Amino acid sequence: MPALKVSNLGKRYQVFGSPRARLRALLTGRQAANNHWALSEVSFELGKGQCLGVIGSNGAGKSTLLKLITGTVRPTTGSVARQGRLSAILELGAGFHPQFSGRDNLYFGGALIGIEREQMSRLVPSILDFAELGEAIDRPVKTYSSGMTVRLAFSLVTAVEPELLIIDEALAVGDQRFQKKCTDRIEAFRKAGCTILFCSHSQYHIRRLCDVALWLDHGRVRAFGGTEHVLSAYETHVRLLEAEAQGPPDAGGPVARPAAAGGRKAAIRALAIADLGDGDPPQLASKDLAVTVRAHVRGGERPNFAVMLEQARGVGITSVTTHYDGAEPRLVGDELWEATVTFHDLPVHSGDYVVSAYLFDSEGIVVYDEWYQHTVFRWVYPARSAGLVSLPHRWS
Amino acid sequence: MTLVLAEELAAAFRSRRLLRVMVGRELAARNAGAVFGRAWVYGQPLLMLAAYFLLFDVILGARLGDVAPRRGMGVFLIAGMLPWMAFTDAISRAMTSLVDAGSLLQKNPLPPVLFPMRSVLASLTTYGPLMLLLWLAYTPYHRFAWPALALPLLVLVQFALIFVLGYLLAVMVAAMRDVQQFVGFLLAAGLFLTPILFSFEMFPESFRWILWLNPMTPIVLGFQALLLHGMWPVPAAFLALVAWFGMLGLMLAVAVERSHDQLVDWL
Repeated sequence: MPALKVSNLGKRYQVFGSPRARLRALLTGRQAANNHWALSEVSFELGKGQCLGVIGSNGAGKSTLLKLITGTVRPTTGSVARQGRLSAILELGAGFHPQFSGRDNLYFGGALIGIEREQMSRLVPSILDFAELGEAIDRPVKTYSSGMTVRLAFSLVTAVEPELLIIDEALAVGDQRFQKKCTDRIEAFRKAGCTILFCSHSQYHIRRLCDVALWLDHGRVRAFGGTEHVLSAYETHVRLLEAEAQGPPDAGGPVARPAAAGGRKAAIRALAIADLGDGDPPQLASKDLAVTVRAHVRGGERPNFAVMLEQARGVGITSVTTHYDGAEPRLVGDELWEATVTFHDLPVHSGDYVVSAYLFDSEGIVVYDEWYQHTVFRWVYPARSAGLVSLPHRWS
Repeated sequence: MTLVLAEELAAAFRSRRLLRVMVGRELAARNAGAVFGRAWVYGQPLLMLAAYFLLFDVILGARLGDVAPRRGMGVFLIAGMLPWMAFTDAISRAMTSLVDAGSLLQKNPLPPVLFPMRSVLASLTTYGPLMLLLWLAYTPYHRFAWPALALPLLVLVQFALIFVLGYLLAVMVAAMRDVQQFVGFLLAAGLFLTPILFSFEMFPESFRWILWLNPMTPIVLGFQALLLHGMWPVPAAFLALVAWFGMLGLMLAVAVERSHDQLVDWL
């Protein structure tokens, strides 16, 4: 039996003109004039230990699907069959009572997700250890910072290893260091055979973490299958939509970035392109494109870098990462790391291009920092030809 | 219809351990941060009763006519006032219980029935002991005659009625928030349409039917008959109670069934 089986799932919302119409419908049993199907005819199966990424634009029905599987919302059609314990990381900290201490809230929050008092007493030390709240645990939650609340909530929700874990854009938990701890814990669940449903706008993370992907469009399944297959179809779709929606964006020079805040664990410090000449945007004077990224990372962790090259009007050309390529950034100073990527005989045609840089943790999961579309440069391809890139080719 | 209600009760029963935690927390939350904490739960209604007694019996020296069961206003008034205070307290809390639990219900797969039930049980925990205390204090009047022994049962019947009405109102408030304001007004006015400050017999006979439109009339009559005389209430009170249970139960079943699919989205 699969770990999760979703059959013909659908959710219809009756749209009432006003609360008065809603009350009237309650009293008379009349249906609303307007119906909105947030989700319809969704079916799929997940095996034990599989990780599913759910993608789609806003309003595609991703959250509705997660709520239906979690059970907070009842389906209009179809059914959800699942096995074992389910944990959902939806909105962390909802349900905490501000007047009560963190410890009291742990017991109550535990009762809500099916952890009995005795079991909770055994779990408390490990939860406290993970949440790093120290003595604040016995203070009222109203005195907590938002980061502390979220840390406590995440530790509680993941205190018991679930068979099915649902994550709604929750990789942004607390500060960078805690984010890394969270993703490590989720990774550990995954390795232990936990089935994961993961909803994110970050295609990078879906690629990195998921075996299968589900693309929802206007409440229906547009594609379901291998991550790469579904994502490439989705990306094409998004690019087409964007191209329709907008003209060419402004091709400004390098964008000034604010200096990294002192408290952060890791930040990009510099992005440099070798041999940039004059002009606006500056023209690349070499036939090679060499991009060097430098970052400051605390605590001796060896980071990973990614560099993305796009046309200035947004069509992606390529992205490369140190962790996929097996390259190791070098230590160039006190906690300063650097990596350079070189594209020999840059095989793209003439035009304006933009470079982005990303900084990852040692596993390549947590994005510590990103300089998105940071430097624009102009490139003149030595040969005249139409199109986007020069592909290796042979005439016969 | 009975099936819908049975399902709701079964869902609450399945989550009884959680329900216990929720009731305890509700009671703690009502007075969290107060120095005397839990004492206020019981202290507040007792102080209210003392204030009523002081005003009507001592200061105004009000005495009821010969038709009333007791001439002393204070003794009569408290027998009806305590169940009425329990009613207004539990109804106003149960009514908003679903709306207040919105974020919780949207994030956790919990049966909505737990929330009105939690409010009603928390009120029962508060007023139940006070009612038993009153029962003991009124021993000289009822002398534990057979009917007086039914008081604990009457307390349970009252809270069952409150639960049915409170859950119904909670669903209606979820659909339209204005219901809360309207019921708030009815609760304030209801004191004067319940035989608490006057005896049932003192109300003009041709208008007595108005009193039966109030679900608390049979309950208050029951309290007065058991506590003040150790007698069974008039048969009409039993009939009214059955009619109210039937009607509210039907309305609740229909409301739960119709809102079933989307209740959580309304919160």
